[in-house]
Amino acid sequence: MLRLEQLSFSYRTRPVLQDITLEIPRQSFLALIGPNGSGKTTLLRLMSKVLQPSAGKILLEDKPLSRFSARELARRMAVIASDQHFEFPFSVVDVVAMGRFPHLNRLQRLSSQDWEIVDQALRLTCVDHLRLRPISQLSSGEKQRVLIARAIAQQPSILMLDEPNSHLDINHQIAVFNLLRSLNRQHRMTLIIVLHDLTSAAAFSQTIALLHERRLIKTGSPREVITSELIRQTYGAEVEVFPSPLGGFPQVAYGPDG
Amino acid sequence: MTTVIVAGLGLFLGPIGLPDRYILLNVRLPRVLLGLLVGCGLAGSGTVFQGILRNPLADPFILGTSSAATVGVLVANLLGWHNYYALYFMALGFALSSIAFVYRIAQTHGKAPIQTMVLGGVIVSLFFNAVVFVFFSIFYRDSFTILFYLLGTLTGGDPKLMVISGAFILLSLAVCWAMSRELNGLTQGEETAFHLGIEVETAKKILFVAASAMAAASVAVAGMIGFVGLVVPHMMRLIVGPDHRWLIPASALGGASVLVLTDSAARTVVPPLEIPVGALTALLGVPYFLYLLKQRQDAGEF
Repeated sequence: MLRLEQLSFSYRTRPVLQDITLEIPRQSFLALIGPNGSGKTTLLRLMSKVLQPSAGKILLEDKPLSRFSARELARRMAVIASDQHFEFPFSVVDVVAMGRFPHLNRLQRLSSQDWEIVDQALRLTCVDHLRLRPISQLSSGEKQRVLIARAIAQQPSILMLDEPNSHLDINHQIAVFNLLRSLNRQHRMTLIIVLHDLTSAAAFSQTIALLHERRLIKTGSPREVITSELIRQTYGAEVEVFPSPLGGFPQVAYGPDG
Repeated sequence: MTTVIVAGLGLFLGPIGLPDRYILLNVRLPRVLLGLLVGCGLAGSGTVFQGILRNPLADPFILGTSSAATVGVLVANLLGWHNYYALYFMALGFALSSIAFVYRIAQTHGKAPIQTMVLGGVIVSLFFNAVVFVFFSIFYRDSFTILFYLLGTLTGGDPKLMVISGAFILLSLAVCWAMSRELNGLTQGEETAFHLGIEVETAKKILFVAASAMAAASVAVAGMIGFVGLVVPHMMRLIVGPDHRWLIPASALGGASVLVLTDSAARTVVPPLEIPVGALTALLGVPYFLYLLKQRQDAGEF
């Protein structure tokens, strides 16, 4: 449903991404990984039309991304960026209700059906009990779940996230990834996630795209991409990869030198 | 409701007993009406600036928009333009170019951090204030009316200019209110707003123009009255919450009440003299600004 064809992007004269070709079918669970500066966040920003490619094209449902208005796009994809600031004390339910914006006309108020969707999203992400709390007072884990609830309320077919686990404790990380997994499986959402953490990428995603020095060097299942050779080569780190005792997925292990 | 009571209070509050009918209708009434309008415009403008810039410390006075508009008014006056529309659009033109300038110098990597915006605003204010003083010392050295105007006052409002400014204020306020959803989205960050389906650049342009139009209209009739646009939206956010659908009307009414009340104080505290209301709002507003700044610092936001 999302297709990138020979995509390149330069920031002024500095090339950031070169010649990326990638097909993302409906209902995939794709993790974008790669060392810092490999261009994974930039790729996500290109796919969500925050940035415009310098060359190549992006097709969403066979139509160039550039031809979608912000509103049309927001009905199809929800995006959760990595740094979120909450300067104003909007309540959790207000924030989640913002997910209905792209479905409403100017001055049109939320219908009972819209509220139903908002309530469902709150329940699905287990933040219903926080609905009247100002979002600025929540913990990072709770905030992340509220943002996911807002994304669900948008009823998108694609959900993109940039490092959803970056400031979370491990219990919250697991909760968030399980939630994302159920959105992918039960709600048939296509998930595209930028990840720093190779363990969660390997455990939860279906497909992994590995970026290195501005290029996409490998796309495949976790087992095909997370290998000792590839990780050593791209991250320049001495690691070993073992099959996880929790399932067939690969697990990265490392220790002190020597 | 409160606004009506305050307006009534403003009408009847005077240094010497009950005022006579003439003063009531020809002096107080226009003054109170002007106070309501200007208060509405300043607080409306502040609310919108705070929303677009995602910062509760923004206001047309701090961002230098008010002093730019003042220079616009003086330039139009010096050019001998007595057409009210020309005067108003001159104020608006200066206001818009100054906010565009401040926004540009503050912008790095597509964001305009508020610290740099406030700093930019201070620089722009200093520059335009200097221009005002140059004009004042060359062309208006004996004019007490101009001095009072520069300090911000609700006296001597020209009825025709009041009507024009009032129309612009109410129109801009309506536009901003109709865009409350966009404003709510923008408070979540520009990228997030875009992902929620808002055409960010267009929305921002319209809102910047509308907010500047309100500030310029207020300045054109009443000079530089600061801090109403800063304090009122903040107080109203504590009462009605951050949703602009409620916040904009609440701030407009709140601003109207606060300004009429302050103006009543300005002309009654030292009878029979009066203080320019702009000086009084600054005296009251500065501590509040400092308090907000400190509070944010304690919250670790700077």
